[in-house]
Amino acid sequence: SSLGKRTEKASVLLVAIESAIGGNAYQHSKVNQWTTSVVEQTLSQLTKLGKPFKYIVTCVIMQKNGAGLHTASSCFWDNSSDGTCTVRWENKTMYCIVSAFGLAI
Amino acid sequence: MPTGCGPACGRGEGELGLPPGRVFIFSRFKSSTVKECIHAILKEKLADAQYVPEEVPQLTKSLSEIIKDRLKEEGFDRYKMVVQVVIGEQRGEGVNMAARCFWDADTDSYAHDVFVNVSIDCFTIGNVKLLLL
Repeated sequence: SSLGKRTEKASVLLVAIESAIGGNAYQHSKVNQWTTSVVEQTLSQLTKLGKPFKYIVTCVIMQKNGAGLHTASSCFWDNSSDGTCTVRWENKTMYCIVSAFGLAI
Repeated sequence: MPTGCGPACGRGEGELGLPPGRVFIFSRFKSSTVKECIHAILKEKLADAQYVPEEVPQLTKSLSEIIKDRLKEEGFDRYKMVVQVVIGEQRGEGVNMAARCFWDADTDSYAHDVFVNVSIDCFTIGNVKLLLL
């Protein structure tokens, strides 16, 4: 079912975020490495699922400073086979938004 | 608006040493064209805009749709497309964004542009990924 697939994808994203930045405070010198690590781990776990999909994964990390952040995406694809999953995560010092897009081959 | 900048594609029938069924592209997708397109749209829509928290969600959404529709018109209709727009308020915080893709390197590509508007204190990242159908 598509709900089952969504939950599976969401948990892949969450695990990648937690393992890359869970328990850390925002550090300017590390954030580049963190975003890279989150996307690489997410992508590698998604491809391990072995489904016939192309994937796009993006990650934004923003320091908590009272400022606002918005993200939107628009896609031109096949509604019956393609989908997306976005996870928002935060701790005391930063926000992390990860989006995964899966497009059937 | 530039015309004829979309790719022409065909499928290999075993000629030219190409394996049958393999898609080949006559004119490659040009990420510079897409980048210019994103830049023009961001500049047009954001040059005079104000950062109003209630309106920004709608603005982000409409920007991503405008970019997607413009690219379809430009001739990229043989591609599946993912357009992502991020708008953030600038208050001196740090922001970092990364992306990775699992796709066919021969046919798929991406373009991005960043627009910073000092007067309304916001940065916008427009991110487009195109994958051949």
